[in-house]
Amino acid sequence: MTEHDITLTVNGAEHDLTVEARTLLVHALRDELGYTGTNVGCESSLCGACTVRMDGEAVKSCTALAVQADGAEIRTVEDLGTRHDFHPIQEGFQEEHGLQCGYCTPGMMMTALDILEENPDPTREEIREGLEGNLCRCTGYQNIVNAVQNAAKEMQPAAVADGGESDDDPTPATDGGEEL
Amino acid sequence: MTIDSLDPEDVDAADILGSAIERREDPALLTGNAEYTDDIQLDGMLHMAVVRSQYGHARLEDIDTSEAEAMEGVHGVYTYEDLTSDETPGGGSFALPTAWLLDSLEQVPHPVLASEKVRHQGDGIAVVVAEDRYTARDAAGAVDVAYERLDAVVHPSEAFADDAERLHDDAEGNVAFDWEIGDAEKTADAFADASHTASIDLENQLLIANAMEPRAAVAEYNPGTDELEVAMTTQNPHVHRLLMAGVIGHPEHKLSVRAPDVGGGFGSKIHHYADEALVAWCSMMHEAPVKWTATRSETYLTDAPGRGHETKAEIAMDDDGNIVGLRVDTMANMGAYLSTFAPAVPTYLYGTLLSGQYDIPAIYGHVKGAFTNVPPVDAYRGAGRPEASFLVERLVHLGAKEVGMDPVEFRKRNFVPDDAFPYETQVAVVYDSGEYGKPMDEALELLDYENFREEQERARDEGTYLGVGFSCYIEACGLAPSELAGQLGAQAGLWESSLVRMHPSGTVTAYCGTSGHGQGHGTTYAQIVANELGVPYDSVEVVEGDTDEIPQGMGTYGSRSAAVGGSSLVKSAQKVVEKGKEIAAHQLEADPDDIEFENGEYSVAGAPARSMSMADVAGAAYLAHDIPAEMEPGLEATSFYDPENFVFPFGTHAAIVEVDPDSGEIEIERYVAVDDVGNQINPKIVEGQIHGGIAQGVGQALYEGAEYDDNATLLTGSMQDYAVPKAEHIPEMETESTVTPSPHNPLGVKGVGEAGTIAAPQAIVNAVADALEPFGVDHIDMPMDAESVWSAVQANATADGGAEPAGDDADPGGER
Amino acid sequence: MEFSGTFELEDTTVDEVWLALSDPVLVQESLPGCTFLLHVEAEEADFDELGEQAEGMDRELTNDPEVIAGRAFREGERYAALMQVSVGPVNPTFETVVTIDERDRPRMHASGEGSSGDSSFEMSSSMALSETEDGDGVAVEWETEADVFGKVAGMGQRVINPVANRIVKRFFSSVQEELHDLGVEAVSSSDGDESDDRSLVDRVLGRSKSTDSE
Repeated sequence: MTEHDITLTVNGAEHDLTVEARTLLVHALRDELGYTGTNVGCESSLCGACTVRMDGEAVKSCTALAVQADGAEIRTVEDLGTRHDFHPIQEGFQEEHGLQCGYCTPGMMMTALDILEENPDPTREEIREGLEGNLCRCTGYQNIVNAVQNAAKEMQPAAVADGGESDDDPTPATDGGEEL
Repeated sequence: MTIDSLDPEDVDAADILGSAIERREDPALLTGNAEYTDDIQLDGMLHMAVVRSQYGHARLEDIDTSEAEAMEGVHGVYTYEDLTSDETPGGGSFALPTAWLLDSLEQVPHPVLASEKVRHQGDGIAVVVAEDRYTARDAAGAVDVAYERLDAVVHPSEAFADDAERLHDDAEGNVAFDWEIGDAEKTADAFADASHTASIDLENQLLIANAMEPRAAVAEYNPGTDELEVAMTTQNPHVHRLLMAGVIGHPEHKLSVRAPDVGGGFGSKIHHYADEALVAWCSMMHEAPVKWTATRSETYLTDAPGRGHETKAEIAMDDDGNIVGLRVDTMANMGAYLSTFAPAVPTYLYGTLLSGQYDIPAIYGHVKGAFTNVPPVDAYRGAGRPEASFLVERLVHLGAKEVGMDPVEFRKRNFVPDDAFPYETQVAVVYDSGEYGKPMDEALELLDYENFREEQERARDEGTYLGVGFSCYIEACGLAPSELAGQLGAQAGLWESSLVRMHPSGTVTAYCGTSGHGQGHGTTYAQIVANELGVPYDSVEVVEGDTDEIPQGMGTYGSRSAAVGGSSLVKSAQKVVEKGKEIAAHQLEADPDDIEFENGEYSVAGAPARSMSMADVAGAAYLAHDIPAEMEPGLEATSFYDPENFVFPFGTHAAIVEVDPDSGEIEIERYVAVDDVGNQINPKIVEGQIHGGIAQGVGQALYEGAEYDDNATLLTGSMQDYAVPKAEHIPEMETESTVTPSPHNPLGVKGVGEAGTIAAPQAIVNAVADALEPFGVDHIDMPMDAESVWSAVQANATADGGAEPAGDDADPGGER
Repeated sequence: MEFSGTFELEDTTVDEVWLALSDPVLVQESLPGCTFLLHVEAEEADFDELGEQAEGMDRELTNDPEVIAGRAFREGERYAALMQVSVGPVNPTFETVVTIDERDRPRMHASGEGSSGDSSFEMSSSMALSETEDGDGVAVEWETEADVFGKVAGMGQRVINPVANRIVKRFFSSVQEELHDLGVEAVSSSDGDESDDRSLVDRVLGRSKSTDSE
């Protein structure tokens, strides 16, 4: 089996590693680098549990090869926020009970960030459409939709948000304070 | 109504029980800090892969492992012969036991690896242990198996056919059991005397649980101490430890089973499968840690499916619309072998619910279990109760139509009256409490039922077909007491154990033998214990899912955790409070009978200034400098709580659908759920359970179904082909509650984990039947995809001689 | 599962197509992913041995009816093929053995089975040739009934059906190309001079009935 030397920048940290040509990105992240927050649900890109952000876009890391990600910037759930300093999307999931077993949640949040980047104020239908590639077996999705809406509100720039309570940052949400 | 969640810090200690506080589990799950089984990495860890049968039914002629063994990175390849050889760790049965027996049950052997015959696609034939998961899978592919393919059976009706290929030598006619409940003669008389009858012939399809986390196990054997630790995806670690000890022949006290974070189960992680036992055995064999994680394809082939009934049933009414009898004949699919609790599911968890919410004077149920070439069938969310409720509610829908009554009026007329509780049914159970009219009335109000019927009329005139369907479900949770369970065939008690331990500083660790996997037990149990002990919520830590830490346990399934586990914690906490009372009395120099305990404070009656906090009492208990003579130091208590009866949650779900008879498409316009699960410990978590349950019920009604071809090859073996509902498939759910506390446990709770799944399918099927009533469509089997709806409309249109709806006889009492 | 279809070959005749489809070498060349297609002489088809045999053989495409007749498919005989098929993300190589159950111009029927580690299939297939309505070509009506097992079966019909259809399409396209490239012409019935006791025509046209043979 041929092996390749690759470099992955994960959550800002650069890692050099040697992988087999067939090694999936998700296995490189989990087994080689220890980023186990990203879960594997189906190994066929259908469930979305393994969704990470690669160079700013949501990708399913179970169907990307690690070698394809050579040189890429990867962002995983571990980079969102800590328990004492949640990212608005984490806050939304917590407040709205948008998770139960939590297995789909890291991927769900990564896709949600993609949705919100493209559309900072999505309707419920738009959120449901946007989550088309992410399956959840526990919640029935309703509270996930609530969670994404909750986060959208929190991430809106002051001018748009009701009462402007979120923050004073004048930059629009799409390229504002939160690096997606 | 959407429940707003609360920050626990904003809730007064006295109000903690019953508050919709945010879950304490979430931070770990939201930051990637959770630890699921596959996250575990150990030094020197090997990986196991399983060689599985590609055929649904075949004789094994030869297993050639030589090529796999010669591969680089492969440490071993094992077949059944190797397991049972004198050269390898052993002494086990290497066969999976059945933990529920019935008088007529044919207990067939279920070896952990097939040796002579494979009986379902995915049946294990050999295991490979290798350095990494890729190599293990490659080597599994290199094991050369020679088969002689045999004919297969998929459905019970095929299995029972005279010329069907037999799966097991001992199971003649592929009959697993033959079981009945109720009074056949009395029911026959009721039907003979009835003015009206309605019947149905239906299939309740096989479903696959599809927990998002595939099954997995990591075993680590310590040759120095002979201890074997297994971390695995389990809903019941103690049960798995007990069963696995016998299977692999390693003593129970040298075996520990731990559930790390578990990514959903829905029943599929209750059962003892071969794979987890094989991982444990391989770890002993290699004296090294071994991991196995199922691929999604493997979970489709090996996770126990649920449901799988073929049923003929009928209902009888008198002239006034009273139900006078109900008769059921079911063929239940058991799959290739008997899974752990499989025999209970289509019998005691099904037949005992055939009275539904109704006062029915004569009921008879007959169930015949079939061995078939699908994977062993067992509990999936609801387990037997959805099948019963579906059947009863479909019959009630048809019964109302037959007697010409509105389905709501018909149901109300036949509900068990409020003053009849405790109510003993004709099928061996006693309902604890209920006011069945209440959720129904609430649902009618939410739906604005009267107006809906008018709108439905108008819409029909315009060629739009709306329908409303009701589901007045009942479920039985927390199967108990153990003595009864034993009489019914359980090979286990169904109590729950707990330990509540005060620490000297006044904080608490509460241990419970249940094992949550997404239900938020860490939060709800802490609410319960904090409330009992009067200590701050944040001072209570909850420990679950580890046989090394928790005294004993029976696990989480059947919506039992709150009712049985929660009540066990109440009992342990109360013992702690009682012991604390003695210590407080001693220290306050008062008679224990004069000590009052409220909000975490012990005080002397009539002299509230003389008081001690729970924390002070705990400190005193461990200092032990000044406690009553004869009293042992420390402050903790263990309980084994055995409930006096089941609990019976109930409710009314209703769906409004629009059906397009030309395309067969179904749109759910509204979904209303009014559930009575007794007292609610955390209403936000209750709401989440209801939502998730309904989603799986919607899945069964419209999308899901395990399909096999004639050779018992799974055709829906991926998430591409098995339609797990997506966000767009699930309607917005309107949820409300009524509260009828259960008198059977100290919390007054009834259980909520399965309610939505039990309730939803028949609400939707009844709504579709209501919408298509003008076309004479009475029933469509699930999943109701566009094609089956369209075909049903066409079939009836053809029978009536035209594609148009059958004139203006749109009143629900129209002729059938 | 069942597959069927009709493929039209332009600018040719039933006899020409029949001749082409009688030639294992042409069929081998036209079948996508087929490494070899050989007559099985032994009781059991040993694919390692057959592979070596295939390497050592020097068989070329030809338009010579005499050569084709010498190696044409024979009713009742078994043929082994090694075929790699791309199904979704996997590329299993199937060891396939097919028996020619019937060969009677313009109809052919064959059945067999193939296996590849964790997957296998059993199939029964028939084919009939007829002149197209415009008289300018040949319609090949084919149907196959197949049971698929194992990993490949698990991928579902939505994956397998297009694969089967693609193979058939590429096969007939390729046959059409070979027909044109080689200029295969049907033999006339006047050809004689043969070692087999059937006439050449009978042999390539799949008629087995003339006299008792083999």
